[in-house]
Amino acid sequence: MNYIELGGGITSVTLCCPARYATINPTIAPEKLGTALDFLRKIFRNWRSLAFTRSWAALILALLATVSAAQGPENERPIPILTGSAGFFTNVNGGQAQLVPEMNPVILLPLGDRWLIESRGEFKGEFERPEGGGPYGGKVEKELDYLQVDFIANPLVTVTAGRFLAPFGIYNERLYPIWIRSLQQVPLIFPIGTGSSDGVMLRGGFPVRPKVNLNYAAYFSTLSTVNKFESDRTAGGRFGFFLPGPRIEAGVSWQKLLQEDRTNAFGFHLAWQPALLPLNLRSEYARSNLGSGYWIECAYRLSQLPFWSKAMRRTEVVARAQQLFAEHISENEAEVYGLPDVNTRQGDFGLNYFLRDGLKATASYGRRFSSDGNSNIWTVGIAYRFVFPLGRLGAK
Amino acid sequence: MKMKLVILALVLVLLSAIHGIAEPHKKDGPSKDGPSKDGASVAAVHNSGYGDAIRIEGEQRFRANCGRCHTAPQKFPPRMMATVVRHMRVRATITDQDMQSILRYLTQ
Ligand code: HEC
Repeated sequence: MNYIELGGGITSVTLCCPARYATINPTIAPEKLGTALDFLRKIFRNWRSLAFTRSWAALILALLATVSAAQGPENERPIPILTGSAGFFTNVNGGQAQLVPEMNPVILLPLGDRWLIESRGEFKGEFERPEGGGPYGGKVEKELDYLQVDFIANPLVTVTAGRFLAPFGIYNERLYPIWIRSLQQVPLIFPIGTGSSDGVMLRGGFPVRPKVNLNYAAYFSTLSTVNKFESDRTAGGRFGFFLPGPRIEAGVSWQKLLQEDRTNAFGFHLAWQPALLPLNLRSEYARSNLGSGYWIECAYRLSQLPFWSKAMRRTEVVARAQQLFAEHISENEAEVYGLPDVNTRQGDFGLNYFLRDGLKATASYGRRFSSDGNSNIWTVGIAYRFVFPLGRLGAK
Repeated sequence: MKMKLVILALVLVLLSAIHGIAEPHKKDGPSKDGPSKDGASVAAVHNSGYGDAIRIEGEQRFRANCGRCHTAPQKFPPRMMATVVRHMRVRATITDQDMQSILRYLTQ
């Protein structure tokens, strides 16, 4: 168990397993929580009601049971993996401090030569002090991000069925995990077109010329109100190309809601990693009936600096500019979608230090400008990506 | 609407089937039958054998692809790498050729 103490003993939070975050409305008083035993008792008491966590545990057990079946004579056959990320962040948003422990386990179960079952859960706490003081407390979000079966039909098409991340833009599918994102605050336009969908998707990538790869994803999803499997009836897709030489990628996304007001969402993305500089440029634009906007982000590894090269190689500076143009949505809708209901501009600067593969310390400062008032957003934290085999690795 | 989607799906599946017939599907995951069949690597095999050229090509493809979304990862044991690469193939819509070449590079 990792035990993390923050700011002059203001609070203490344990980071250990998903069950920890599944505790409903935990109130973290340092003096009380000092006794980890109390906490464990609470978890066991809640165990029966923790259906979601239990199903995750069941999935892991089932996978372990299949491991022996997956073992073959070859030392290079894929094995099931437990991967994902864990992190702990402190945000100060407009003067209000928030503690955010987070755990995102991912299970990968390869079957045969062409199948993959994959799933990711999200357990995220958001603990704040109540107005007027008192111990940190708050809700814990539990989400099933995806639970999908992939069938690699041939070099051009992979068929995916189940619950998957909607392939709209690049943030949701590619940059969202806390160990990947360069700035912990998600972009303002993130809620547009993204989320999880239950349905079927075709996707793939293939070269059309020696130096041009095309990639696509097209899907259809169905309406579901089942707990943890909530999904809208939509259709959509993304289409892009990647030039491996100059490392440029561009693409468009589209999504149509096939229920209620049958609205459309449209997106455009661009990414560039110049070969000569340790630079990562990314940008996205999205538009829907809820609003429109863009973000542009630049991350630069300081590996070219002539001094302190050991430390500089591990350091990345990030800057992002973004803008959201709000549509006429109600305050309630804005709250539900997590979108600002007034025009908003924001600039962020961040610093990442890569301690080792998969482990980084991160800090950022952002300033938000809107007619609701301007505010500062500070973030500091640590993100870790783990990868464990669920079976014998075999002799090399 | 639904109709259009069904047609789109059919066209894609048909196109891929045609491709599949023209060029039999290469195994995803590690295979022991040499490098992927695209022109560059075949040429490399003939010119300099299964050595450096294959590794260099794998490294190039690794560099172009695996650091695009996140920092390029370390090598894991071969059986784990095979799973990760299959996962990334689906998630990152990386081409079959790239995957074969990268997997070989990462499990050498
Ligand atoms: C298009 C973006 C993208 C590219 C390109 C990409 N990755 Fe990933 N990678 C991801 C995302 C997103 C995740 C996290 C998956 C999740 O948590 O759902 C990930 C996860 C991983 C992990 C953690 C284990 C796992 O499978 O989840 C490893 C290791 C990894 N990638 C290696 C690679 C390698 C090797 C390549 C090159 C072949 C590569 N990645 C290319 C987006 C990408």
